[in-house]
Amino acid sequence: MRLSKNLRKNLFVTAFLTCPIALYALFVLWPYLETFGYSLTNWSGLTPPTKFVGLQNYTELFGDSVFRSALWHNLLMLIVLPPVTIALALFFAFMLNAGGRAGAAGIRGVRGAAFYRIVFFLPQVLSVAILIIIFQEAYRSDSAGLLNGIAVKLGLTDAAHPLGWLANPNAVLWCILAILIWQWVGFYMVLFSAAMQSIPKEIFEAALLDGAKRGQTFLRLTIPLLWDSVQTAWVYLSIAAMDGFALVANLTQGSSYGGGPDYHSEVLATYLMRNFLTFGKAGYACAMGVVIFAITLLLSFVMLRFTRRDSVEY
Amino acid sequence: MTTKTEALSGTRAREESTDRRLRRFGQDGQVLNAFSHGFLALWAFMIIFPLLWVVLGSFKTNAQIGDSAWAWPAHWSFDAFARAWSKGIGGYFANTLIVMAMSVTGTMLFGAMAAYVLARYKFRGNRVIYYGFVAGAMFPVYLALVPLFFQVNNFHMLNTYTGLALVYIAFSLPFTVFFLYAFFRTLPTAVHEAAFVDGCSHTRAFFQIMLPMAKPGLISVGIFNVLGQWNQYLLPVVLMQRQRGDTEAHQMLTQGLVNLLAAQGYAGDFPALFAGMTIAMLPVVAVYLSFQRQVQAGLTAGTLK
Amino acid sequence: MSFAHGTTTATTRRTVLVRSATIAAMAAPVTGLLSACAGGTGSTSAAPTGPKSADNPFGVEPTASLDVYFFEGGLGSSFAKAFEAMYQKKYPSAKISADGGQNVTGDLQPRFNAGSPPDFIFDDGAQKLELNVLYTNGQLTNLDALLDAPSIDDPSQTVRDTLVPGTVQAGLIGTSMYSLNYALTVYGVWYSKTLFAKHGWTVPQTWDEFTALCQTIKAAGISPWAHQGKYPFYMMVPLMDMVAKAGGEDIMKKIDNLKPNAWHEEAVVQSVEAIYSLVSNGYMLPGTEGLTNIQAETAWTQGKAAFVPCGSWLEQEMDGITPAGFDMAVMPMPQVAGDAMPATSVRAVAAEAFIVPAKAENPAGGLEFMRIMCSKAGGAAFALDAKSLPVVRGAITPEVAAAMTPGTKSSSDLIAAAGDNVITWNYANWYPQMETDLENAMGDLMAGRIKPADFITQAQAAADKTAADSSIQKYTRT
Repeated sequence: MRLSKNLRKNLFVTAFLTCPIALYALFVLWPYLETFGYSLTNWSGLTPPTKFVGLQNYTELFGDSVFRSALWHNLLMLIVLPPVTIALALFFAFMLNAGGRAGAAGIRGVRGAAFYRIVFFLPQVLSVAILIIIFQEAYRSDSAGLLNGIAVKLGLTDAAHPLGWLANPNAVLWCILAILIWQWVGFYMVLFSAAMQSIPKEIFEAALLDGAKRGQTFLRLTIPLLWDSVQTAWVYLSIAAMDGFALVANLTQGSSYGGGPDYHSEVLATYLMRNFLTFGKAGYACAMGVVIFAITLLLSFVMLRFTRRDSVEY
Repeated sequence: MTTKTEALSGTRAREESTDRRLRRFGQDGQVLNAFSHGFLALWAFMIIFPLLWVVLGSFKTNAQIGDSAWAWPAHWSFDAFARAWSKGIGGYFANTLIVMAMSVTGTMLFGAMAAYVLARYKFRGNRVIYYGFVAGAMFPVYLALVPLFFQVNNFHMLNTYTGLALVYIAFSLPFTVFFLYAFFRTLPTAVHEAAFVDGCSHTRAFFQIMLPMAKPGLISVGIFNVLGQWNQYLLPVVLMQRQRGDTEAHQMLTQGLVNLLAAQGYAGDFPALFAGMTIAMLPVVAVYLSFQRQVQAGLTAGTLK
Repeated sequence: MSFAHGTTTATTRRTVLVRSATIAAMAAPVTGLLSACAGGTGSTSAAPTGPKSADNPFGVEPTASLDVYFFEGGLGSSFAKAFEAMYQKKYPSAKISADGGQNVTGDLQPRFNAGSPPDFIFDDGAQKLELNVLYTNGQLTNLDALLDAPSIDDPSQTVRDTLVPGTVQAGLIGTSMYSLNYALTVYGVWYSKTLFAKHGWTVPQTWDEFTALCQTIKAAGISPWAHQGKYPFYMMVPLMDMVAKAGGEDIMKKIDNLKPNAWHEEAVVQSVEAIYSLVSNGYMLPGTEGLTNIQAETAWTQGKAAFVPCGSWLEQEMDGITPAGFDMAVMPMPQVAGDAMPATSVRAVAAEAFIVPAKAENPAGGLEFMRIMCSKAGGAAFALDAKSLPVVRGAITPEVAAAMTPGTKSSSDLIAAAGDNVITWNYANWYPQMETDLENAMGDLMAGRIKPADFITQAQAAADKTAADSSIQKYTRT
């Protein structure tokens, strides 16, 4: 007996979707949902969640100044990280693809483009543990640090007054941001560079025939043509900006998951983890997770509205 | 005849002019040029210098490392590498490879299956499922960390390769589905339809026709996934700790290295730590160097969606 | 290592100490392999016993074999041989089987599951057995019998009397002791005898002498004080030492019990001001407020700073970094005049767990083995072979001391001089959230960003917040 065409199709669709959906539901959706449930309890994370406390965790959360500053720090990273990284990556990609001398062969990248393309990508393949070691020494707060060594040699300061870097509450978050940018620029450079190569060269050449200068080609042509890639990059960098756990937890002052000096580098992820594991306030940590969830959702909508723009067809 | 010659010379003239303009384009800002080159070189230095510094650290002594970051190794010996290896770097590597072999394969397979069905078949609930997947890409992993830990524990999969691999797959699905969905939409439908006319089953059509056609897209999303899972830190930290069970912690490389860093507080063998970092760094850099063309080609394919 | 611990920042042993409470608790709810232990019926009640006597308080059967297991880690394993020899000497006909390794759980889990664990275990290392889980599964022998047994050296004393204060507390689960925490960590302020001798400096006894010396040291072009600024816990120790000495048991109870205005007491105020004066007088190593423990301590071994606060693990931590002839030594945090506790008081914490499994073949033998460890001879063997201090009082005789490394010997002198005056604080373990706030305030104080009055306000606010938070379980110091 032959199964009907439609039934066969439905069987196939079901068979192909079962595994992915099951995994996704078990390990992503369900934990997210449970977060909502736990957030209404005073669960310690040690015993089974027992007592229902209603919205108490949420009211407490809005009065929690550490949570507010952690949230602000993530928002600041969200404002700074994507544009700076994308701008640098676009600039590098442009230099590597169209920055060099052009001849009869058309537009070329700068000399050494192949070398730069390899080197810039390296931070991506390194384990975050290696980044931690490197930047712990780079930002070391006495005169033996890499950056302080340079600062002293340049005469910006002297050995008796080294710069604090991560120990300076006003600088610490920027130091962390600098690492994130350092880490991500190469990746998006390669991504944009790939996208640029897919733009037909004639478009550039036509623009040049019209007398366009390099800066103009960059602003008027390259960016609009890459708008899709830029948008993708923006979304992923935003997610990275909402995180920052590994760097903050390991590099900044404080015994459990860093966040110092005095919460000046606290991010949502470190504060959530500390509440969960160090303070034994898992219910509270879950409430925090729900609030972050809501904020992320809101931001995504805003961002989609803001960045929506017809992409250029070519 | 005459007209043809004129036309030819006209073309030549225009070519010359293009050439000249392009030359001018290349030279239009010597200042900008110097600045740009300087900036590129500086950025490259900012990446290479710290990496070299880690490698040099493996040849320094404890006292030198504790002292100035600018100290230069006094003697060149590979002892530290042997000590680092004996601290289990090899094991961390093996653990990571085992997990990633499972998780990257699984992510690609399940991601492609779901994306394909969602992109190419009309059925009730299609949109809901698609957006359900895509929404997951927008939220940081740590939000659901608390329940996730207990969920994995419910399956008795804490500190197991399979458990971590399944979680990696689940968390990689949103991006993979999102990306491959777009890719499958762009593939021509003709071949696919011809296959059905020949009586090919849906499953065979997928594995034998569509997957090979989607290879560029698979490679590029695969690269994203390899990088993403390789650098994962939070998930293994939470899920791959010894549960006072009968085995040791199956630590991932990132986690193992960070713990090694923490453990230095007792052992005080910094050259070994740096050697460990070097050991961990070299194979990855080597793999990247040998495959960087493919990596970049893969990304190109990906952006062609 | 269980879930929480070793996650990220546990760069220092102190985090291990502070966190251990949380961690042990974390492990408990996670149903694990050990629940299978309950099924191991085996030979629960077949333990051989002989007649009890003053010399044999647990009723050890002299011919019964003894099965011991030692973790082989930083303390080595030669001390184990010494204990075994002492036991063998007392019971020559007992057959002792000794085993050991680094993966305690891997080695012993099958034996627990089979219902035949060893009679005695040194449980430590990354793969140690979780005591809470063993306890929950009824696998641990209550060691109160050991504490109440007569001491080997002086039968008129109980074993409890011969242990350094705080030892029993460190091994409590509920109201009984289930693990003997045998190694002692002592906290103090470290200096180099060689450096002091070279400049003719003398070790200060009082706060005035100390500040005067700091002035002299600074004049000599050396920074008087380095600290591990990335982990402000390190500076909390000297501060709270001073507070304890100034206010005695009274202030310790008030602070541990979260009493209102406890941090506004004079004992706290004068101590915070004293610590801050080190900052305001410019006695800090430049940049020390951001250094890790290793960076700061290395700078100290290189003579860039004269003093560094740390626990007695310092010598081992700096092994291979400390230059030859450095001759490190430790002193108590100097006291301000008119203190409630003697100047020699120090903070000490007992760690490294030794246990007797409840379902062992010969638990009486295991207990007796522990009683031998708690003798002066046992303690001396541990000090010499493990290069660490035992919790046994009076074990470090001058002969033993002569054979010890400079740092360990100095730590030993420090705890000996303290006698009964051991400082313990509980708030950090009981209320980690309060401790985090305190450490943040401490970081700011040491960087000169806030004044002593601000520190006290913030500390009191942290205590009040904890006291008012009904979701935090409260403990009482009595």
